[in-house]
Amino acid sequence: MALPNQQTVEYPSFKLVIVGDGGTGKTTFVKRHLTGEFEKKYEPTIGVEVHPLDFFTNCGKIRFYCWDTAGQEKFGGLRDGYYIHGQCAIIMFDVTARLTYKNVPTWHRDLCRVCENIPIVLCGNKVDVKNRQVKAKQVTFHRKKNLQYYEISAKSNYNFEKPFLYLARKLAGDANLHFVESPALAPPEVHIDLAAQQQHEAELAAAASQPLPDDDDDAFE
Amino acid sequence: MASSAKADPEEHNREDEENAPAADDEDTGAQVAPIIKLEEVAVSTGEEDEDPMLDLKAKLYRFDKEGNQWKERGVGNVKLLKHKVSGKVRLVMRQSKTLKICANHFDCKSFMEMVQEVAESRGKKEENKDATVTADLLEKLSVGESKSDGKDQEEKAAASKDKEAVEDKSETEEGTKDEPASKA
Repeated sequence: MALPNQQTVEYPSFKLVIVGDGGTGKTTFVKRHLTGEFEKKYEPTIGVEVHPLDFFTNCGKIRFYCWDTAGQEKFGGLRDGYYIHGQCAIIMFDVTARLTYKNVPTWHRDLCRVCENIPIVLCGNKVDVKNRQVKAKQVTFHRKKNLQYYEISAKSNYNFEKPFLYLARKLAGDANLHFVESPALAPPEVHIDLAAQQQHEAELAAAASQPLPDDDDDAFE
Repeated sequence: MASSAKADPEEHNREDEENAPAADDEDTGAQVAPIIKLEEVAVSTGEEDEDPMLDLKAKLYRFDKEGNQWKERGVGNVKLLKHKVSGKVRLVMRQSKTLKICANHFDCKSFMEMVQEVAESRGKKEENKDATVTADLLEKLSVGESKSDGKDQEEKAAASKDKEAVEDKSETEEGTKDEPASKA
C-alpha cells in the first residue's frame, strides 16, 4: 500500500487512513510518533500526507503507512479517493470542540463506503485540556458502530500508543501482540576534529540560552 | 520521580470515572477478520552483551538550529550500558510505551558528569532516596575514555527541580542518525 515513490519493505505493512475534522490533531499525533516532538503550530494539511511508521512487536516489525488526510473541507483534495485500499483507520475528534464529535458519523459513513469491514479506532484527542466539551460518558458513537474508542492526548502522550497497538492486534488477529524493545544496534564510531568540536561547543552555548518547551505532560507521572 | 505538579494520567478522566462506560481497554470494536498471520519471533534488544550502569526516566530534546529552539524528541528511559567484554559505555534511550530508540551513541561523558553532579547535590540534601541510589551507582562508574570527540559536547542535560528528573538534550543529527525508526 505504499505510494509508487516510496520504498517497499519486506515486513508486513498496512495502509492506515486518518480522518477527522480540521484542527483535531491528526498531524500532530502522527508527528509525535515520527519525531517525538509536539507541534503547537497549526498548519492545515492540504490533501494528504503519507508517513511510514514502524513498530516493533513480539511478532516482528510492522509498518503503518499513515495517510494523514486534510480535515478542512477547502483543503480536502481527493477526499475519499484517499481511502481506497485502506486496511485500517483512525477517526479523530477534539474533546474540547463539540462540533468535531458531531461530525464523526459523517467521517465514519464516508470511510465505510470505501472501506468495508476494516478495524477502526475512534480517538478523542486533547484530553489533557481542563475544560472538555465532550465528556467520556457522552462518547457513545463507537458502541453503535462497533468501533474501538480511546481517549488520547498528543500533548501528554496519554494512550498515544494504544490506537496502533489495537489496530495491529486486529489486523493480525492476535490479542496478545505487544510492542517490544527495538534492537539497539551498536552506534557508529565517529571522530570529530578539533574545529568541528569547537563549532559544536559554540552551538551548544547558543542552544543553552534557549528555554525548553512547556512540558506539562505525563512524562514523569 | 513524580512530583505534585505533574499531571496524573488518570486525572483526565477522574471526574468522569463513575460514569465512564468502558474500562480503558474494553474492546468495543467489530469482529473483523485478520488480514495477516504473524508468528511470534525471537526478540533481541541489542543490549544482551551489556550491563546497565544507570537507568533513569528522562526527557530528550534536540536543538532545532533553524528555529533556534529546543524540540522534544522523546520521553522514556535513558540507560548507560557498559559492554561486558570491551567495557565501552554507550547511552541508549527508548521512547516509553512504543520502546523505540530515540538516542543511541557512544561518548556520554558529559551526560554522566551531569548526572553525577545532580546526584551528588541531591545526595547531600538527603531528600531523595533515588538520587542517593543513583549517586552510589555513579560512584561505581569508571569510564576510562579520555578521548572526547565532540559528541558529548552537544549534550546538555539539566535537572529539573520540579520533576526531579534528568532532562537530556542532545543535538538532532546524533539522534536522527542513530535511530532507525526515524528514517521511516
